[in-house]
Amino acid sequence: MSQPGSRPDPRPDGGRARELLARKWAYLLSGVAVIPLAVEELEHELREQIDALCAAAACDPVDTAAAERVGDHVVGLGYVGEDGLRRTVEVLGKGLPALPGFQRAEQAALVIGALAAGFLVANRRVVFEQQERMQLSLLKAVRDAKWHLKESEARFDSVVTSSASGIMIVGLDGRLVRTNAAVAEILGRTPAELTGATLFDLVHPDTVGMLREAMRAVAEGGQDRVRQSQRLLRKDGDVARISLTASLLRDPDGAPSHFVAVVEDGTELMLLQSELHRQALHDVLTGLPNRQFFGTHLESAVRRADPVHGVTLLHLDLDGFGMVCDSLGWLAGERLLVHVAQQLKSVLAREKAMVARFDGDEFGILVENTATTPNTAALAAAINRALAEPVYVDGHGLAVSASMGVVRGVSRNQEPAELLRAADQALRRARRGRRGQWELFDPGRDTADRSALARAVAMPGAWEQGEFTVRYRPVVRLADGGVAGAEAVLRWDRRDGRLPHERCVALAERTGFILPLGEWLLTIAAGQVRWWQRDASAVPLSVALTAHQATDADLVSRVVRVLDATGLPANRLAVAVPSAAVTAPDVADNLGVLAEMGVRTALRDLALGPDDVAAVRDLGIHSVRVAARLVELQSRADAAYVGALLPALVETGAVIGVDGVVTEEQAAWWREAGAELGTGPLFGPDHSAAGFHARLRR
Amino acid sequence: MARTYDFLLGGAHNFAVDRELAAHVERVMPDARSAARVSRAFLGRTVQYMVGQGIRQFLDIGSGIPTVANVHEVAQAADPECRVVYVDKDPIAVAHSELMLVDNDRAAIVHADMRDPDSILDHPQTRRLLDFDQPVGLLVLMMLHWLPDEADPWALMARYRDPLAPGSHLAITHVTADNQDERLTEVTDLIKESRSADQLTERPHDQVVALFGDFELVEPGLVGCAAWRPAGRGDIADAAEMNMVIYGGVARKP
Ligand SMILES: C[S@@+](CC[C@H](N)C(=O)[O-])C[C@H]1O[C@@H](n2cnc3c(N)ncnc32)[C@H](O)[C@@H]1O
Repeated sequence: MSQPGSRPDPRPDGGRARELLARKWAYLLSGVAVIPLAVEELEHELREQIDALCAAAACDPVDTAAAERVGDHVVGLGYVGEDGLRRTVEVLGKGLPALPGFQRAEQAALVIGALAAGFLVANRRVVFEQQERMQLSLLKAVRDAKWHLKESEARFDSVVTSSASGIMIVGLDGRLVRTNAAVAEILGRTPAELTGATLFDLVHPDTVGMLREAMRAVAEGGQDRVRQSQRLLRKDGDVARISLTASLLRDPDGAPSHFVAVVEDGTELMLLQSELHRQALHDVLTGLPNRQFFGTHLESAVRRADPVHGVTLLHLDLDGFGMVCDSLGWLAGERLLVHVAQQLKSVLAREKAMVARFDGDEFGILVENTATTPNTAALAAAINRALAEPVYVDGHGLAVSASMGVVRGVSRNQEPAELLRAADQALRRARRGRRGQWELFDPGRDTADRSALARAVAMPGAWEQGEFTVRYRPVVRLADGGVAGAEAVLRWDRRDGRLPHERCVALAERTGFILPLGEWLLTIAAGQVRWWQRDASAVPLSVALTAHQATDADLVSRVVRVLDATGLPANRLAVAVPSAAVTAPDVADNLGVLAEMGVRTALRDLALGPDDVAAVRDLGIHSVRVAARLVELQSRADAAYVGALLPALVETGAVIGVDGVVTEEQAAWWREAGAELGTGPLFGPDHSAAGFHARLRR
Repeated sequence: MARTYDFLLGGAHNFAVDRELAAHVERVMPDARSAARVSRAFLGRTVQYMVGQGIRQFLDIGSGIPTVANVHEVAQAADPECRVVYVDKDPIAVAHSELMLVDNDRAAIVHADMRDPDSILDHPQTRRLLDFDQPVGLLVLMMLHWLPDEADPWALMARYRDPLAPGSHLAITHVTADNQDERLTEVTDLIKESRSADQLTERPHDQVVALFGDFELVEPGLVGCAAWRPAGRGDIADAAEMNMVIYGGVARKP
């Protein structure tokens, strides 16, 4: 008879239970995997792995490295694959926690998670090895066919034409001597278009150098073969990511005569792998839990959530990530993702939180809130600050910002799926808010565009190196030419030249780097203007924001931070947002809150449409700035059209300024029309802080 | 074909198009993977069976990419003295095998077409490794359905059976439509449309039995290859038809 409080019946002998589990595992595994072992041998193998897992779980903390080795070992059993992993996770997920010695379900979860991670790493390695061996085989087959010997031409052709992979025979000078249909297909060109072309014209300019180098080394005998991930230029302008293996063909006298190169479609291989990763728990690249794991975790976290503080769910999407990949290659992209993963983990190190990688450049974060958890805005800001720290990848300093969707869940009855959906929606809203800016994201990939991309992604590093300076542009009263304000602008001094403010901003806008860069500009300028106030040569500061900045959910806290840090009074600062951005979500809110704090708000890049007038009125905008292109247009022909729109604007009572004033005539015309202030070349160049100060005291 | 097959088995010894074809096949026949797996398991059992019958030398025609659980590994694990000659006509399969076998002086690959028996039987490697006075294990697995009737696989098989010593064994696996609905026809069509030069000819039971000639089929005869002396769960597919879509049998020369 069992009495209350007495110990439960002893569990069945641990050894026996492990044996049964091993048998079950072997049974399930052999239903999907190809393993060259007899049943008993397999059971024996797996029994040993279970022992290893139990030992790993018994350690405190759990010995995840040992569990990862088990995953590695399972891959080595044969062709185990995705299905084999799925069955393994299933059978162990149920079986391990039931084994004697497993007190906590977490132990099993950790051990299995680590096993899966180890499995995937090993599996990826094996896939690559096998693929590599196939490429070598193909290369060998082509070489064995000895194409330059007349009598074996037919044999050569049979290898080449039937081959699924691209094969090219390349002259030592890079000229394509022969290509098979697969090459043409990969490049989206006809074989006729390829004859006479040279290989180097078909390779992405960024990486062609390294290919030339390697091929020269092979020709000179310094190296056996070339093996590179490369990017080829398709006719349709896309880039084909491929792996290229090339080696030398020799003529009968042994002198180098040609190269033979084998080209495999790399994107497909990546797809194949992502297929393999799909079902497992961890993302191999970053080591973070994947979406599936995150989902399960979310479920239990919601159930045990603190009833007062609840949980916070963040869904992140990196801005401009595609551009990093396009300009620097996907390897750089991968490294950036790893960096982001680390940053996110370190930001959240003090919280009870799980950071997961969803797909591509999306991440999920679940925070189980406590009384000391920072609020959502602070959390989001901390994340973006951490991401803005440049990381050096291939010599380029990269940084990113993230768009975020945030949801707070407090009820334990909340459906996890519901939370995920809400976070996703919030993210999409966050992204949509910046649509105007994303239109810049032109996938056209001519060389100019690519170099612009490369420049844009290199900005954070350059910034850290001190290549950026803040300059001050006079804002002048049209009535008497006196300086009425300072507009803070950027300048980037590159080794190959100087980039003015408008170019810098446009580039930074593309990567989202504008957020930290803009905050920096504001901080420096606010500190400077505050300093000038000491000798009463005080002018207000104005800063032009981009669409990205205007929609930034963090804009208000950034401004508050700057004002606090510098002591600049709010009413000495004017922020100007692009008039085209005012309809985006959050912009009106941002402007409203800033105005309430006393910050002067302005619309810039005004096109003088009826919408602009309405926006000025509805949002209580203090001042407007007419777009430079309109100023130019007016002076050329369409004065009547421009003039017709002005009276309504004057009526709103907003101070009217004009940008890009070049001539006295323009200044006079706008003064007549009711404008008070102007900027532009007519009023002198942008100054350094000292230069501007001198001008103020003149 | 060998590479698509490898992909279905779960390997990565394949190229993009091979995987594409496999994906098409799987769309029509979602369990194709298990059919591949079951046929590969049959290979392992047959080799083990033959080793049990005292056979120490093998001729494997249409050997493909020797990937997981291949003939020389299974045989040499049972007895390191076992010798294996692989034959394939696909230059890439041959190159791959050569790379894999560099360190194995008891196994070799011959690059030849099985339609030319002399080129195989008289090949120096065959002569070096196989002793035709002793029983040979002749394996023609997942191969003969690539030969159309015009190639007369029956006559060809006779050419290979003839020189073998009594006590030799022959194993054949062959795709059949006997137990299948139209899905197999769809697969056949897919292969026809693919860039592959090889076409699939599935054959009924009696035609496959005829490939064994006067060799005597051992128990249980020519059956769905999963049903040929299964030893464990790995030998059988969950989907019943996949156990029946490939005939397998082993016969002994009297
Ligand atoms: C599906 S694989 C079979 C692999 C292995 N025998 C097995 O059962 O696992 C078929 C192989 O037969 C080869 N093959 C097809 N026709 C052939 C022929 N006429 N002569 C030699 N090999 C041939 C193909 O190249 C391919 O590698």
